[in-house]
Amino acid sequence: MKPPRILARAATPRRLIWIIPLFILIVAVVSHGLRERAIAADVLRADPEAILGDPTLREAALAAGHPVYQQHCASCHGATGKGDRTLGVPDLTDDDHLYREGTVAQIEDIARYGIRAGNKHGWNLAVMPAYASKNPDAAEPLPPQTPAQIEVLTQFIHSFTAGVKDHATQQRGRDAYNKAGCWDCHGRDLGGDGAIGAPSLTDDIWLYGGTPADIRRSISRGRAGMSPAFARKLTPAQLRNVAVYVASLAPTQPDRK
Amino acid sequence: MTQQPPSPNPAQPTASSTAIGDAVWDVHKPVGRRSLLLAALGALLGLAIAGYGLFTAQGTRTASVPAEDAALVNNIPVLRADLIAQVTALYSLPYSQTTRPQRQKVLDDMVREELYVQRGVEMGLPNDDIDVRQALVQATEGQIAQDATTAKPAEDELRGWYDAHRAKYATEGLMTLHEWRAPGGVDARRAVTALRNGASPAAAGLLTTGRVDDGEEFYFAAQEHLGKPVFAVALGLADGAISDPIQTPGGIHILQMVRNTRPVATPYAEARDQVLRDFLADKVARLQEGNQRFLKKRADIKIAPDLR
Repeated sequence: MKPPRILARAATPRRLIWIIPLFILIVAVVSHGLRERAIAADVLRADPEAILGDPTLREAALAAGHPVYQQHCASCHGATGKGDRTLGVPDLTDDDHLYREGTVAQIEDIARYGIRAGNKHGWNLAVMPAYASKNPDAAEPLPPQTPAQIEVLTQFIHSFTAGVKDHATQQRGRDAYNKAGCWDCHGRDLGGDGAIGAPSLTDDIWLYGGTPADIRRSISRGRAGMSPAFARKLTPAQLRNVAVYVASLAPTQPDRK
Repeated sequence: MTQQPPSPNPAQPTASSTAIGDAVWDVHKPVGRRSLLLAALGALLGLAIAGYGLFTAQGTRTASVPAEDAALVNNIPVLRADLIAQVTALYSLPYSQTTRPQRQKVLDDMVREELYVQRGVEMGLPNDDIDVRQALVQATEGQIAQDATTAKPAEDELRGWYDAHRAKYATEGLMTLHEWRAPGGVDARRAVTALRNGASPAAAGLLTTGRVDDGEEFYFAAQEHLGKPVFAVALGLADGAISDPIQTPGGIHILQMVRNTRPVATPYAEARDQVLRDFLADKVARLQEGNQRFLKKRADIKIAPDLR
């Protein structure tokens, strides 16, 4: 069987000069695309917590996640992930996590469903009540606090990071803490609750700042930070990649689940 | 106008057709056939890309399960990420430490849920079940909120909002005061004069009402304790001022203001988180209204004549 005329004619050295490179280029582009696609699918199918430990998946996810982060997250979290205290945007480069343990899957969940963003899958359980107002919390009937009570609470919470050891102040503060019901979210030990995004009050990591003025304002005016839900804006692959990227910003935790 | 003589045998390549065939591959010679060939190649490539997009787009019926999904139920995806979240939540274990039967159980439950949701829609439950209806309304509203909050407002917009609602970001006012009651037989005017001259309330024959004896309190609390008319008088008193006698349903009262701290505007930098929250809440409310108008506009709503 004779080859098609056009191909027979094409097989001259002059024509081959650009047919062969073109063919090689097409094959290279297609095979590269297929390989990239396969790796991207592997990133999606893999256990999210195993991705950072696999060099191929890690490289692919970080390369794809970085531009997503820059486009959708950096405006609040900053280009380097350092956050913004004036907005209560957390620092992503430390090993403290407001919601749970900061695993890739948990970060992906937050990116997908948001925090107080109107998605019922998201984290919407609690807000910091504004105790210097008539109705501190719209969702729950809580009594407001007097200026004196707020001051006692402020000094009590500040005492942990300020290293104040005055027993009377501590006791007065603890009584006020218990009476005001702060323990309901922050725990009896003030250790916080990652299930509802209630921060620990005894460490030196502050979402909105840890000066007495900052603490006073948090208690008086309340806080309710928000993280958007990108479920309809980003693809599953983008969400996974950006979650891996964000997780990679935090220091490695050997005990991470 | 000249005519080319017809080729003696169309099956045999002529010298001119061979020349054109050679020229197709010579980029230095302009040949119409090359353009056609390239256009055809481009069209084929475009069709291939379009076909690929068509058959792999989200929601397309496919034989295989996309990488991001754990299952497809009547082509509705069950997200792998949701499966992982549910498995880890149910067993309180990292996903890697859960067993295949554990994962299978959760996936079965998720598939079952999806089947029931789809069946519910088939049965028209959104029309009948009050919980489903409420959930749908909330979810639709929530969707609008989500879309509105994925873009961060510009700093100018936030500052503009703050400037327009500056009073909202003021601190709550504070007051420390005493409220005295003039018992029967005590001349309230004389008592006021005595107080203003430095006499003690006891010497002036006054008794405390006990309503504001807890020291400094916020304006809202003082208003709650004093009632609106008396609070309005208190609001106008400067530090150390004594009010005129106030006739109340409970008798004649006199206010002695110790300290009245007016609300102070919170600087923008300190109120920024609250400004962002309020700005977005307003944006969501406006979008909800717009959405409602749009839905009404495109809907065919007929109201019974007696209810118009």
